[in-house]
Amino acid sequence: MNASPRLLAGASAPAGQYLTFTLAREVFAVEIQVVREIIEYGKLTGVPMLPPSILGVINLRGAVVPVIDLGVRFGGSATVIGPRTCIVILEIAQDDGTQVIGMVVDAVNEVRELAAGEIEPAPSFGSHIRADFILGMGKLDERLVVMLDVSRVISAEDRELLGQAQHLAHASGTS
Amino acid sequence: MDMDEVLKVFIAESQELLQQMEEALLMLEHAPGDSDTINAIFRAAHTIKGSAGLFGLDAIVAFTHIAESVLDRVRSGELRFDAELTALFLQVRDHLGELVRLVDEGIDLSSLPAEVQPLHTQLGDCLSRYLPSTDSQSQLRATERIERGHEHGLSADHWHISLRFGPDTLRNGMDPLGLFRYLNTFGRIVSLVPVLDRMPAAAEMDPETCYLGFEVAFYSDADKATIDGAFEFVREDSLIRILPPHSKSDQYLELIRALPEEDMRLGEILMRCGTLTATELQEVLHTQVQSQQRAETRPIGQVLMEESLVQPPVIAAALQKQQQIKDNRNNENNLIRVDASKLDRLIDLVGELIIAGAGAQMTAQRCGHSEMQEATEVLSRLVEEVRDSALPLRMVQIGATFNRFQRVVRDVSREISKDIALSISGGETELDKTVVERITDPLTHLVRNAMDHGIEPADKRMANAKPAQGRVWLNAFHDAGSIVIEVGDDGGGLDPQRILAKARERGMLNEGQQLAEKDVFNLIFEPGFSTAEQVSNLSGRGVGMDVVKRNITALRGTIDLDSKLGQGTTVRIRLPLTLAIIDGFLVNVGQASYVIPLELVEECIELNSDEPFERGHLELRGQMLPVVRLRELFEDDSPRPRRESVVVVHQAGLRAGLVVDQLLGEFQTVIKPLSKVFSACPGLGGFTILGDGTVALILDIPSLLGQLTRVSEAPQRARIEA
Repeated sequence: MNASPRLLAGASAPAGQYLTFTLAREVFAVEIQVVREIIEYGKLTGVPMLPPSILGVINLRGAVVPVIDLGVRFGGSATVIGPRTCIVILEIAQDDGTQVIGMVVDAVNEVRELAAGEIEPAPSFGSHIRADFILGMGKLDERLVVMLDVSRVISAEDRELLGQAQHLAHASGTS
Repeated sequence: MDMDEVLKVFIAESQELLQQMEEALLMLEHAPGDSDTINAIFRAAHTIKGSAGLFGLDAIVAFTHIAESVLDRVRSGELRFDAELTALFLQVRDHLGELVRLVDEGIDLSSLPAEVQPLHTQLGDCLSRYLPSTDSQSQLRATERIERGHEHGLSADHWHISLRFGPDTLRNGMDPLGLFRYLNTFGRIVSLVPVLDRMPAAAEMDPETCYLGFEVAFYSDADKATIDGAFEFVREDSLIRILPPHSKSDQYLELIRALPEEDMRLGEILMRCGTLTATELQEVLHTQVQSQQRAETRPIGQVLMEESLVQPPVIAAALQKQQQIKDNRNNENNLIRVDASKLDRLIDLVGELIIAGAGAQMTAQRCGHSEMQEATEVLSRLVEEVRDSALPLRMVQIGATFNRFQRVVRDVSREISKDIALSISGGETELDKTVVERITDPLTHLVRNAMDHGIEPADKRMANAKPAQGRVWLNAFHDAGSIVIEVGDDGGGLDPQRILAKARERGMLNEGQQLAEKDVFNLIFEPGFSTAEQVSNLSGRGVGMDVVKRNITALRGTIDLDSKLGQGTTVRIRLPLTLAIIDGFLVNVGQASYVIPLELVEECIELNSDEPFERGHLELRGQMLPVVRLRELFEDDSPRPRRESVVVVHQAGLRAGLVVDQLLGEFQTVIKPLSKVFSACPGLGGFTILGDGTVALILDIPSLLGQLTRVSEAPQRARIEA
C-alpha cells in the first residue's frame, strides 16, 4: 500500500497548490500534482456487478477511464448530476505504474496556494470521513477544508473490489 | 553509424545463435556425429567470434576461438561429441551467454569481472585439453591460431599466400617485388602465379595503378605472425590470405570463397589454390574434351568430382561461389529485424483506425447517402485487411519457447537423477509475442513440477509396468480462437484423496464438503497448497501453482488439469491468441452494449417469450442448455423488450446461452486494457470503444461459463458423489 511516510511521522500535508472542489456542500482539496484534467460530466457507461461507488467508465480520447463517486465512497448518498457537475481526472502513481481514474464532483472551485501555516494535521476523530483518507485540514478564508489523500481513497476502492470479487467467486464456487 | 545500435544487434544475434547452439548440442545427445548439427554449432561459434571481433571484445573472441578449434577437430573427425564434450560445450554456451549479457549491461570485458574469471579460465583449460598439445595456454591470448601438422591436411607442405594488391599500392611507395625479396629472407618461394584478371586493356591502363594479384606457394619454418608481418604496410587496401601448410580442404574452401575473381575458371582456381596439380588439371581437361566430343557439355566441377580428383566439398564450395556471385544481392534481405515497440505502435494505430472507421461507417449510415456508404464499406474492408496483416506481425511460433525446455529437462533430470525425455509437438502454433514472453515462467514451473512430482523413480515405474524412462510432453494447438498449451507427464498422477485430505488439513475445505473430481484437482492452484511430501530443490515449497494460475489469469487465460492416478497428469493452459484486437459480436441489453468474442459464439436463436425457461435451463434440440438473462445477471432494471434473443456461447466443452435484447452483429473490437480497479471483476474481459465513442464491455465468456455451468451442475454432481 501507498502509506505516506509524512503521515506516519505525524507531520501534516505539504504546502503547495491545491485544487478545491465541492461535493455534497462540503469543500475538499487535492494536491494539484495528481490532477491531470477536469472535464465536463459526459456519457458514462455503467459497469455491472460493481459496488455503487464506481459509477462506470468514460471514453477519454480513446482511453477507457473508470469514474468513482466520492459521495458514495464517503458513506453518503449518490451524487446528483447537475449542470455544474464535473469529472476530475486524477493520475496517481502507484507501486505498479500510474493509474488514471476520474471522480465526480458537484463543482470545481479554484486552485489555491496553501502555505504551511494554513495547514493543520488531520483530526483523529470527529469527521464522517475515514481518518486515513485525510491528509490534513486546510484553512481557506476562515473555513476548514478536507485535504484528501486520493491514492489512499483509490487503493481502498481496489481493496473493496478485490474483496467483493473473491466473495462472488466463493459464492458461485460453493453454491 | 551508431555503435550502440549495432551492438544491440550483435547481442540479439548472439543470443539467437547461442540458442541455436544449445538446440544443436541437445540434438547431438540423441544423434551424435550428425555432421549438419556439428556444422551448425561451428557456424554459431564462428559467427559470434567474427562479430565479437568487430567490437573488439577480445575476451569473447579468444574464448570462442578455442571452442572453435575444438569444434574444428570434431568436424574433421579427430574428436567425437561424447556426453562429456557435449556437457562441456553446454557450459561453454552458458558462459558465452553470460559474457554477452555482461556486454549488454555495458561492462567492459577487457578485464573480466571477478565472478566470471575463474569459470572463464577453467572452461578454457578444459577445452584446451581437447586440442593437440601445442602451447595451449597461449591460445587463450592469441586470436589467430596457426594450424599446422594435421594428419588430415592436404599434401601441400608449403604455406599458401593469396595476394590482391590494392590499386594504390604503387602510389603508396610499395613494391610487390620487394615483398617477395623480403619473403625469401626467411623462406623460399616455391611457385608464384600472377593473377592478372583485373588488368584492363592497354589503352585504359594507368601505369601508376597496381592491378596485380599473386598466388604464392611459400616454404618456410616461420610462424604465421612473421609471414603476416611482411605484408604489414600493404594490408590496409589489399586482400591478403595466408594458409598454413597441410591446411585442410575446407580452409581452401574458405579461401576460394574469399577471393574476388568472378570469372575465373574453376580449374584454375583449384590449381592456384594448390588443391590440384597441373597434371591433375590436365587430366581433367582431357576428360572434358572427351565428353564434349560426346556432345555433352559437362561443367568442369562435375568432371572433377567423377574423376575423384578433388574432394566433393571443395567442388561444392567452388560451385557455390559461382552461384553466390549471382545470388548475393537478391538473397540477403529476406528478413528484417524490427523493434517490437515499432510494431506495438503500428498495432495501436490500427486499433484507432478501426474505431475511427466504425465511426465513419455509422455516420454514413445515419445520413443515408448511398455513395458515402459504399465508400465507407470499401474503407472498412481495407481496414480489416490491414488489421489482418498487421496482427500476424506480432505472432511468433511457440516452438522456440518449447525447445528451450529440452535444456531444462536435460539439466533437471540429471539433478534429480531420473531418466526423463521431453517430446514436443505443435511447435509451429503461433501466438502473440507478449503472450509467448509471459508464458515461459509458468511453463518452466509446470515442466519442473511434472518432472519432480509427476514422474516416479525408475524402480517404482518398473514395478508398475511402465518404461523406466519417464516422458514429459509439451503440446500446443489452436482451438476456437484461443491457443491451448498442454504440459503432460506419464507419471504417478494426482491422488484426489490426498489432495482432499491436505485441503481439509489446511482448512481450505469444510468437513463434509463435497467436490467434483475436477474441482478437487483445481485445489492445487489455490494459494498455499503443495502436496509434495519432501521439499526438493525444485518445487514443493507451497509457492507455485497459485502463482502459475495468477500469471495465466493475467493473460486472460485459464488453466485446468486432468489426472489419472498411476497414469499421469496433463495441465492445460488456454490463452487468447492476441491481446490487442479481436472479432467481436455486439449485443444490446437495455442501454448498454456488450461484446462477445465472435469465436465463442456458436449460434443465435430467438427466445420464444411464451416458453419461459425454468431454473435457468432451456431445451435446445433435445439438449439442456444452461441459460441466463444478462439483464438479471447485471441487475439492469430497464423494462424487458417483447422479443429477446439467446446467444449460445461455447468454450472448452462448456456451452451456455445468454439472453440479450438485441443482436447488433459483428464488430471489430479493439481491446482497451482493463484499469486496475476492474482487474478483479468477474465476467469482465475488457473494454472497447464503439464507433460513436461510447464504451462497451467485453464479456469474459470463460469466467461466465464457469460460473453458470458450475451453478447449474453442482447439485447433480453432488448427488453422484454422495
